[in-house]
Amino acid sequence: MADQTQPSTGSTQAGQPVDQQTHFEIERFMVREARLLDQDRLHEWLELLAPDIRYQLPVQEVRYRKDTQPIGSATGTYIFDDDYKLLEMRVNRMDTNLVWFEDPKTSSRRLITNIDAEWSEQAGEIDAYSTFLTYRNRRQSDETWLVGAREDRLRKTDQGWRLVNRVILLDQRVVQDKNLHLFL
Amino acid sequence: MKPVDELVLEDGAYQHRTMFWNEDIYEAELEHIFSRAWLFLTHESLIPEAGDYNTTRMGEDKVIVIRQQDGSIRAFINSCRHRGNTVCHADAGNTRQFTCSYHGWSYGSNGELIGVPLEQDAYFNQIDKSKFGLQEIAQVASYKGMVFGTFDASAPDLETYLGDMRWYMDSFLDVPGGIELIGPPMKSILNCNWKTPAENFGGDDYHFGWTHAAGVAVMGGPLEMLAGNTGVPNEVGFQVGSSYGHIFGFIEGGAAALQPFPEWREMYDNWLNSRLPGQEEKFGPLQARFYKGHWNANIFPNCSFLYGTNTFKVWQPRGPRAIEVYTWTLVEKEMPAELKQMMHRSNAATFGTAGMLESDDGENFEECTQTNRGFNTRQGYCHAGMGQQNEGPHPDMPGVISDNLMAETGLRNFYRTWARMVNGDDWTQIGAPATAPLKKLRAV
Ligand code: FES
Ligand SMILES: [Fe+2]
Repeated sequence: MADQTQPSTGSTQAGQPVDQQTHFEIERFMVREARLLDQDRLHEWLELLAPDIRYQLPVQEVRYRKDTQPIGSATGTYIFDDDYKLLEMRVNRMDTNLVWFEDPKTSSRRLITNIDAEWSEQAGEIDAYSTFLTYRNRRQSDETWLVGAREDRLRKTDQGWRLVNRVILLDQRVVQDKNLHLFL
Repeated sequence: MKPVDELVLEDGAYQHRTMFWNEDIYEAELEHIFSRAWLFLTHESLIPEAGDYNTTRMGEDKVIVIRQQDGSIRAFINSCRHRGNTVCHADAGNTRQFTCSYHGWSYGSNGELIGVPLEQDAYFNQIDKSKFGLQEIAQVASYKGMVFGTFDASAPDLETYLGDMRWYMDSFLDVPGGIELIGPPMKSILNCNWKTPAENFGGDDYHFGWTHAAGVAVMGGPLEMLAGNTGVPNEVGFQVGSSYGHIFGFIEGGAAALQPFPEWREMYDNWLNSRLPGQEEKFGPLQARFYKGHWNANIFPNCSFLYGTNTFKVWQPRGPRAIEVYTWTLVEKEMPAELKQMMHRSNAATFGTAGMLESDDGENFEECTQTNRGFNTRQGYCHAGMGQQNEGPHPDMPGVISDNLMAETGLRNFYRTWARMVNGDDWTQIGAPATAPLKKLRAV
């Protein structure tokens, strides 16, 4: 990994931090994405996704450090393992107005921070890292906080940046909530 | 706590609402149900090698399930015999021994106490280590790869306990190569009583078209007609109540119905069709039909699954008003990798923690418990009387069977068993056939 404390060298080699303009675009992408999701503008959110997207939230086990598969190892099981069609289905389902438990709706606020981005080995694609603090509130006083990180691959297209891959790392072995019925 | 015969009335059709709230009743459940019944622990495929272990719970008791050097599986209470600390903090792993993090006692994979720090200097070699092995679970057994345990040494063996349910489950458990669970499981919290999801998964096809109307509408497929509960062709399936309280709802030919895309349904259907002749040869057509149908099921008390959708769950109780949900994916071992991955993805998208249908259910389950916070609210009874006059034994299939899909036959069977167990009845009474009188036979 490059020395992230140094300003961009202008290199677009894999692992090098992106330039200031690109960083600004990535940050805007993420903030805008969060706003669309907070506002339930789900179809507009779908437009930010590349058609070949993979959207995953892996199950992480609690294991001892000395284990060959300590915490953070890929377990091969997922809470989300969606492609575009599944994500679109989730959005279309909301359009039916038959999702009773979302009526009255759940409010959510996404705080996206610690954004870092570097060039990937693929020309025109960057790896972006961010953390989230997402608040949900439903009905009278049902509230939860979700904290985690995201490892994204973003691709520059003529229409702007598009999300190609997202791995969501949720720091809860037992999800402290009744569902993860939201996009993180 | 009210006497049991005031809690469950009319052959299981009414349940007093304190059963979903009251601490005393919950303690009685821990003592009479979770300390006696066979409880699901893990699948053999998740701990294949000697020393492989999973930790889980039986009721509120933490347990370690570990593969022995000789290939057998044993289970132990996950609590140190010295001062009681948890012995193993990991979900899973492989080990020769567990060392307690408090004073360092160590236990072999067979549960024996093998190491005591300062045994000579502090204990003057006077501690009899053979007396302080981990407390072993009285009976652990596998049924076609499914590992269960019971604290009750006098409980009938696992095959007997699975009762009538075994005749049905063999149709898909007993496939060439067997089945396996894809793990580690997802885990999440629901603020509901454990019985609500158990009765729901096991016997509530009534909620399906309504609660899940949105999901069923967007996924389409053969169950789309159920969306909105407008009209239901009842011949589509039926409910079954087995001895020992196991239950399931069956949808004829519907195994692949809840796969989200037509191509996925087709891929899975092709697989099922390729295996069906073998199952028919082994079991005959009557029993083998269950291989191609969709099941919503509960193995008493708290192990639920949807065969076809292939979600597999345990509802771990955490007091009377909360549970931990464990969710695995059930697949046939010989399925191609591509089909297994599809199964895991569709399970995650439907009945996983972020699943579209799981999310529909969670809110209902929680509210069915939390409304009982109201003192006056919980003085009443919940009702599960649907189809009570239209169920009975069948000439060719075991258990109590309803005339149609929409029936609360399973709920009544579950609560009859619940009442017998909480009442402290002996095993012959618990396993007695359901008492529902024969009203009408349906030719199936
Ligand atoms: S409590 Fe385990 S060694 Fe003392
Ligand atoms: Fe449901």
